[in-house]
Amino acid sequence: MDVVAIIISKTILFSIPLMLGALAGMFSERSGVINIALEGIMIFGSLFAAIFITKAMVDTPLAENHPQFVVFLTAIIAGLAGLIFSLLLAYAAIRLKANQVITGTALNIFAPSFAILVAYAVITLGVSDIPIPNLIKFSASDFGLDPTQIPNWVNTLLFKNLYLTTFIAFFAVAIAFVVLYKTKFGLRLRACGEHPQAADSVGIKVLRMRYIGVAISGFLAGIAGFSYSMANGGVHQADVQGFGFLALAVMIFGNWKPLKILFAALFFSFFKTIAVVGSTLPGFPDFGLQHVEYLYRVLPYIITLVVLAFTSKSSRAPKAEGIPYDPGTR
Amino acid sequence: MMAKSRKELSEGTLNIISSIISILGGLLIGFLILILLEITKSESTISTPFTVMRNFLTYPLQDSGKFIKVFYNAAPLILCGLAVGFAFKAGLFNIGATGQYTLGAFFALVAAILWQFPWWAAMLVGMVVGAFWGFIPGFFKAVFNINEVITTIMLNWAALNLANLLLYNMPKLRIIPPYNRVDKLIARNPSALLPDLGLKELLGTDFFNIGIIIAIVLAVVMFIVLNKTTFGYEVKACGFNKNASTYAGIKAKRTIIMTMVISGALAGIAGGVSFLAGTIQFNIESNLLAMGFNGIPVALLANSHPLGIIASGLFIGYMQVGGQAFEGVYSSEMTNVILSVIIYFSAFALIVSQVIKNIQKKNRLKRGESDEDGSESVSVPETDDSESEDSPEGANAKTMEVSK
Repeated sequence: MDVVAIIISKTILFSIPLMLGALAGMFSERSGVINIALEGIMIFGSLFAAIFITKAMVDTPLAENHPQFVVFLTAIIAGLAGLIFSLLLAYAAIRLKANQVITGTALNIFAPSFAILVAYAVITLGVSDIPIPNLIKFSASDFGLDPTQIPNWVNTLLFKNLYLTTFIAFFAVAIAFVVLYKTKFGLRLRACGEHPQAADSVGIKVLRMRYIGVAISGFLAGIAGFSYSMANGGVHQADVQGFGFLALAVMIFGNWKPLKILFAALFFSFFKTIAVVGSTLPGFPDFGLQHVEYLYRVLPYIITLVVLAFTSKSSRAPKAEGIPYDPGTR
Repeated sequence: MMAKSRKELSEGTLNIISSIISILGGLLIGFLILILLEITKSESTISTPFTVMRNFLTYPLQDSGKFIKVFYNAAPLILCGLAVGFAFKAGLFNIGATGQYTLGAFFALVAAILWQFPWWAAMLVGMVVGAFWGFIPGFFKAVFNINEVITTIMLNWAALNLANLLLYNMPKLRIIPPYNRVDKLIARNPSALLPDLGLKELLGTDFFNIGIIIAIVLAVVMFIVLNKTTFGYEVKACGFNKNASTYAGIKAKRTIIMTMVISGALAGIAGGVSFLAGTIQFNIESNLLAMGFNGIPVALLANSHPLGIIASGLFIGYMQVGGQAFEGVYSSEMTNVILSVIIYFSAFALIVSQVIKNIQKKNRLKRGESDEDGSESVSVPETDDSESEDSPEGANAKTMEVSK
């Protein structure tokens, strides 16, 4: 029972940054801007969240009394940092009509190096890791439960890896679904990603909608970066280990749709968890290999590829993504 | 307009001008960041950023060893840049050069050490493995229409973990202590080291080998293939418009697969060039190797032009060596910050050249020459290919839009 609890709880933990990152990518691409810079934006969000919570919040009365409010504030800071950073992409891609892949790549190269430089400046030369204090975790007692009273596996399942960002992520999926499919704004956003000329002809301000799309994207990706620090064991490392790119893959896997992204993130994360946890458990074959965990780590990627091959027929990217909008082409 | 008017800047010149503007902009912003970092220090001396920046720019010129290291760094950079750039030409984003590079490097070492191959054969093995790792995303793109970005990302991590697994399970690769990395080539098979043409001792550095020559030769070959062969034409046609090229009788699927195979092969050769130099040892890695990713800025800075990639590879190699000047004071990461700003600005290159063009056009109008360009809003062609230069400027503003 404990094993299952560990696997489920870790699956959810790993899926959070992927889910938020993929939603971030979705908002940008649905508006017509390819956001390959998710990786960089996540690092940026993670960096400022870590600095904010360790430098401004630790040991304050606020953190003692309302730790989850502090986590909420930090998530907002992470989101705003991501938003501001993503405006660099928005300005170049929308206003200046620059190549979106080039701009995104520039941001991806900038962010990890900048994070290390800032960590050197803020912490000390040679140290790029910023540990995040323990206050951010939920425990059973936060919900009025006594940890000794509930079974061990329940405690593991529910509270071992529970953070505020877990709720934020699932909430974000729901909101994204409603915004995208049930509001006027969502319809307009999708129109700008599918056929901006048509959208423009009915009076939608395409460029403005794209700015908003990228801004939402930056905000969510910033929070995704903060949540990655938690999945990473509570430390900011000036790097998100390719989670930004994986989030991009999850977005494509999820077919640019919020609910499918939810399942795609859980699916991918499940196999990743198996890869990390599996080889340490009894009963998993080692095929007579040394360090068989690396074999298990290959699996999530191969399985995703196979599944993609079977589901590719229904896959459809927003039609106008990656093409700068030029009113002259209407 | 039959012939270009006198004193007008050509497309190529405009590209070079905008690259130079980007580079100056990158250096300027990097300098400003240095000043900001210096101010945040508890005891700051305002002269430090100036000294460090000057040191960064001149560092590789300080002695011949450092200067040769520029070429040593540039060789795999150029090859990775060619890998990424070639895929760009066909409209594919090969973000998986790092996976192809990793496996190419690993199998080149396997061939060199376990099978005792000479250097060129070991490199061919690396090339074939890289090509196979490039074939997979090409096949998925062509047959299942799966975005190559997602497949290459997945295959990067698969390649990394596969290499780790194999390294652990091939103990014969590492019989020399500390047993945790592939043995030095010089100890196991000196004939697999890249030839140095006898110059290593003369120059007094381990970093000289023929890698840079291989890279330049392949860049020239790629230039010829792209511009002088039918296959090259098909690749570029697929990049402009897959549907139109299919309509015109080009087998787009085959072209896509071939492009990815060649791209992967180039990345595999890059892996061979890096590790058959005998200066670094293959190790267990927990994160993707940076070299394959560095091919992306190399290709972007050169706008995927094969000969431009030689220049941009050398430039980035120079910056990497110069970056050591930041160490101790700030961090060699500063190099990447400057590089990223340069790339960011280079994304505007088209805008800059467009502005220059418009100014030229206004001047022309002032001089009273007739303007035959037709519409005022000339759409921006994607690349600086020879076709777009050849196309007559008048009358076909519309067709250029279609080529997008």
